[in-house]
Amino acid sequence: MKKRSILHMLDPMPNNSPFDINMAMDAGFDVLMPYSNVKLDSVYGLTQDAIFSRGPSGVKLTGIFIGGRDLALAMDMLTTCQQAMVPPFEVSVFADPSGAFTTAAALVACVEKELKTKHGKELKDCTALVFGGTGPVGLATGIIASLAGADTALVDHLSINTAQDVANAYNRRFSSTLKAAVASNDAEKAKVCANADIIFCAAKAGIQVLNATVLKSATQLKVAGDVNAVPPMGIEGIKRNDLGVPLIHAINATNAVGVGALAVGNVKYQLQHEMLKLMLTTDKPLYLDFRQAFDKARELV
Amino acid sequence: MEKQFILHMLTTAKNLSPFDVNMALDAGWVSALAYTNVEPSEVQGLVQDAIFSRSAKNLRRTGIFIGGRDTKQAMDMLKIAKRSMIPPFEVSVFADPSGAFTTAAGMVAAVEYELVTKFNTTLVGKNILALGGTGPVGQVAAVIAAQAGANVRIIGRQLDRAQNIADLCNNEFGEGKINITAGADADKAEYIKTADVVFATGAAGIELLSAVLIASASQLKVAADVNAVPPAGIAGVDAFHNGTPIEGSNSGAVGIGALAIGNVKYQAQSLLLKQMINSDKPVYLHFEHAFSVARDYIKAKY
Repeated sequence: MKKRSILHMLDPMPNNSPFDINMAMDAGFDVLMPYSNVKLDSVYGLTQDAIFSRGPSGVKLTGIFIGGRDLALAMDMLTTCQQAMVPPFEVSVFADPSGAFTTAAALVACVEKELKTKHGKELKDCTALVFGGTGPVGLATGIIASLAGADTALVDHLSINTAQDVANAYNRRFSSTLKAAVASNDAEKAKVCANADIIFCAAKAGIQVLNATVLKSATQLKVAGDVNAVPPMGIEGIKRNDLGVPLIHAINATNAVGVGALAVGNVKYQLQHEMLKLMLTTDKPLYLDFRQAFDKARELV
Repeated sequence: MEKQFILHMLTTAKNLSPFDVNMALDAGWVSALAYTNVEPSEVQGLVQDAIFSRSAKNLRRTGIFIGGRDTKQAMDMLKIAKRSMIPPFEVSVFADPSGAFTTAAGMVAAVEYELVTKFNTTLVGKNILALGGTGPVGQVAAVIAAQAGANVRIIGRQLDRAQNIADLCNNEFGEGKINITAGADADKAEYIKTADVVFATGAAGIELLSAVLIASASQLKVAADVNAVPPAGIAGVDAFHNGTPIEGSNSGAVGIGALAIGNVKYQAQSLLLKQMINSDKPVYLHFEHAFSVARDYIKAKY
């Protein structure tokens, strides 16, 4: 009998994400096996258990997916998987905790494209703010933007210390140059937005972070991207399907445009789908994180 | 390529019921994925994760099943799931905690069938005693029968607990439109004299109605017992009874045992799992829908 493809889905949370389950099935994996409450120190053993039972041809039909909510933990798990491989017993591994890597990659790629087509600018020419910057999507967005050359600050809604600690920790890990900011109310938000070329909104779903009044203060704004698909939107005036649509409330910025959650989601969806399919079609095992996701997202847009 | 049918199966318990997993796969779901120890507060997040990764068209090939043990919690989770949908991103949801919804539906539909075919009457106005009625199956059977027009009394060992359950049934599941009453087990000898129907839904292996009480039930028509483990919950009704006259009944009552009820339950659960697959629009299924398909299934035998 022909071997079926198997995706072992490791998750440190009590349950896997139904989103990832749907995506993995739709990418063509025959069998999905969830592993929940997985601790980092079990990953080495789980990986070796997965690679030694199917032979060198079977490993090509076997993959490991790493979910969860914690970006650093997911990266540590990915590294541990890689260390546990014993070539030729080696399988592809894809980390996408909370879908944050593919969402962030899609968000930055969409914004980068609008920046180029509408304003003739590159990320490296720009300052960027990430609202919800200490959550998984916000963090990955910040790191990708920073590594692509944008002068990027993570904005926390409660504490500058939180934002600074997170920025420091991730700068050490990924050699990014993230800065930190805090904005708890409209006045503070208006202040940080005043000089931003790019605004990424990756805050919690269903919460409006930037209203029309705050957007008035954004005089340099070129592109704003929002990943919140649950009304009200994170940035007032951006509709879910917007892709390069003028930002009606940013009245003091020239030609500022917005990218909405479903426009980003559409790219994210294709991206995650492509990356999962890549695991099944590749000849050599691949180790995929937000960096590969961003490369691929740039190709897609 | 057509997308595969995926059923996301949520339970508050630490494991899914293998019964439900078998049923789901046999009904046509290709993949059944378990989400365990799920708190009601996590339902919105899980639902929204499930709906945003497929197109509206392919969401028709995606579903959510809610298991667990607690009927109220399952109904709450169903309501939360429904509220969490963002049309057109919407999937069908079916709640059947411990199989209680479909078991209760199967029992009431089987009882109704006997009333119609053997006694030329219906559930309307019948006095029903739900013995051991404080558990999940008893509660739901009481609600379904009351919604069909019966006067239902939930009997429990402690009157105040039975009363609390009756209140829960009336207010939560019956939305204030039904009036189930409560009684203490110690008083059942009195209640049985005017009972038309008895549901026995107590713990397995406990006799809830003795031969003496059966003999004293002068207007009893149908007695149904979900317990498949001897001794029978109702004296004289064994697991294989399916409209079989009860030995010792002076009113010509018939018995329905666990296997007959189980057969209708099985059909109802399977039909609802298939309804999720075949429906054009998302459906939100619970005990009322279970009773509706159980009735249709039995009617086909009339």
